[in-house]
Amino acid sequence: MTTNQMVSASPFPSPSVAPIDPVFRQIRDLVYKVCGIFQLEEKLYLMADACGRRMKQLGVRTPREYWDLLTAHSSREAELRQLLNEVTIGETCLFRSQPQLDALRKVILPELAQDKNKQVIKRLRIWSAGCSTGEEPYTLAMNMLEESEHLLKGWTIEILATDLNDRSVETAKAGIYGDYALRSTSEYFRRKYFTPAGEKKLEVRPEVRELITFSRLNLQDDSRMLFMKGMDLIFCCNVLIYFDGPSKSKVIDHYYSNLNFGGYFFLGTSESLLKLNDKFHLVHFPGTIAYWKPSLKSGKL
Amino acid sequence: MSTSVTAIIRERVQSIETMPAIPTIFLPLLDLLNLPAERVKLDEVVKLVSYDNSIAAQCLRAASSPLFGLAKSPESIKGAVIALGLRKVQTILLTCCLGNAFPTKNWPLDPTVFWRHSLGCAMVCRKFSEKLEAEDGDRAYMAGLLHDLGFMVNCIAFPKEFAAAAAHASQKQISLDDAELAAMGFTHCESGRALAERWNLADDMVQVIAHHHAPEQGESAQSLVALVHLSDLLCRMRGLGYGYYERRRVDLVGDPAWGILLKEYQNLAGVDLALFSFELDEAVGEVFELVSTIFGAAKARD
Repeated sequence: MTTNQMVSASPFPSPSVAPIDPVFRQIRDLVYKVCGIFQLEEKLYLMADACGRRMKQLGVRTPREYWDLLTAHSSREAELRQLLNEVTIGETCLFRSQPQLDALRKVILPELAQDKNKQVIKRLRIWSAGCSTGEEPYTLAMNMLEESEHLLKGWTIEILATDLNDRSVETAKAGIYGDYALRSTSEYFRRKYFTPAGEKKLEVRPEVRELITFSRLNLQDDSRMLFMKGMDLIFCCNVLIYFDGPSKSKVIDHYYSNLNFGGYFFLGTSESLLKLNDKFHLVHFPGTIAYWKPSLKSGKL
Repeated sequence: MSTSVTAIIRERVQSIETMPAIPTIFLPLLDLLNLPAERVKLDEVVKLVSYDNSIAAQCLRAASSPLFGLAKSPESIKGAVIALGLRKVQTILLTCCLGNAFPTKNWPLDPTVFWRHSLGCAMVCRKFSEKLEAEDGDRAYMAGLLHDLGFMVNCIAFPKEFAAAAAHASQKQISLDDAELAAMGFTHCESGRALAERWNLADDMVQVIAHHHAPEQGESAQSLVALVHLSDLLCRMRGLGYGYYERRRVDLVGDPAWGILLKEYQNLAGVDLALFSFELDEAVGEVFELVSTIFGAAKARD
């Protein structure tokens, strides 16, 4: 059986499709243990597909041989990183995680608004760390603009969007997206916050862009990380998976001190901190988890 | 809650004619569920299944559903029980048995949603107790399955008041027990307790039914109650809730129930909650299928 046969074009593979080689389940568990990214059983075919592409590039014939490669001490880290690249490829789009946006707008913002109600300057600071080509910060900005008509009326909203890659940051600044990146963006948002830009492309409107400051930042640059203070929310999706254990811990510690008390840190939808930090509280919202820096009044520090 | 309110609920539950008597096979079934799997006798289960025609039919139908992937439909009850496995049969039995006892006509709560939550919670309870290496996974399963018995009571004994509470909850996106308290002055915990006591259920089940929203108030079996409480919350946050968006943040580790469990099970500290949630997502589809398999005919029956 070739790997291609295992890959179904349909997002709901029918039971008649050849069963997935159990080695891919082992690989899934290894990826979780090392990087904290979980692949649902129903999405296992995506993992199999990604492995298939890597196997082809490496000239590896069987999934079992590929497993040996992933677990051999010398090649393990490098190959896992390559595999993760394949797994997360093309995942980015605007409005990628509706449960996160719901948690933000329905639970977190009302709570923050109440907490900050007595402050003279009402300010909300959000950091999109590892913003890639800008889909996440623009999504956040549009949702915040929606709220600024009601709950956040009169608030100052600042979104910081950083990425290590210069080219990504430039693409992000341009704010022009095609159908694929916009596949989850509703008609309502397309009309309200975009203008047509050439063939089948849309460009974000200036008022969305105005909320965001784009810059290049290396998350391992300790001196710069120290200055990213006063955040209410940090989003860092599918970025930490590329860091080794100690660097990851360090970045997470930075995030903890970058956040205000009562602030939240979001990872990717099926990503976990793997207990690398015991100060953050893992909290649940419907359909999503986040890491919470307990507020001073909660007495849970 | 004052004694007088308890008395009123108890009286209402006692006096309502439509309030179901305990189904005949219910207690023997619970006893059977209590036994370690190796001591459960196949013939006894077959006898229970055969006792009620409609339940027997439901079991046969469940056994021949694609969910269990059998090559051909079993022809006898015994064949169905063997094909499904005892544990699954017991779940189906208990569900059918309760489903038959409480006709779901005009329920303010969608029965499908109710059963998804109950079966989901049962499954999470068992999984959770496995993670804690607790001995009584089946007991935990049963506790999860029965914890919201009071909603069934409310649907029948207080239909108008409970309908208002349920509508208020989904409209305001608040938790159902908060809405009950606001609209009725009591919750499904109290009414469930009244029926559980009338049915002479074992004390730990009564405790779970009565205190699963506030385990620290339980009188006994606190760790089982705490386990159900946490599993209930987890289900509601991962797509197995009451069918509407609950606007809330759930901090399981910061919950008093977590502390209660931690005292008994030190390995709770090692449980990876994120992974547990992701694993739960995998099982949601199965719960949906199981409910539609068992429940498809029950709905048509009413």
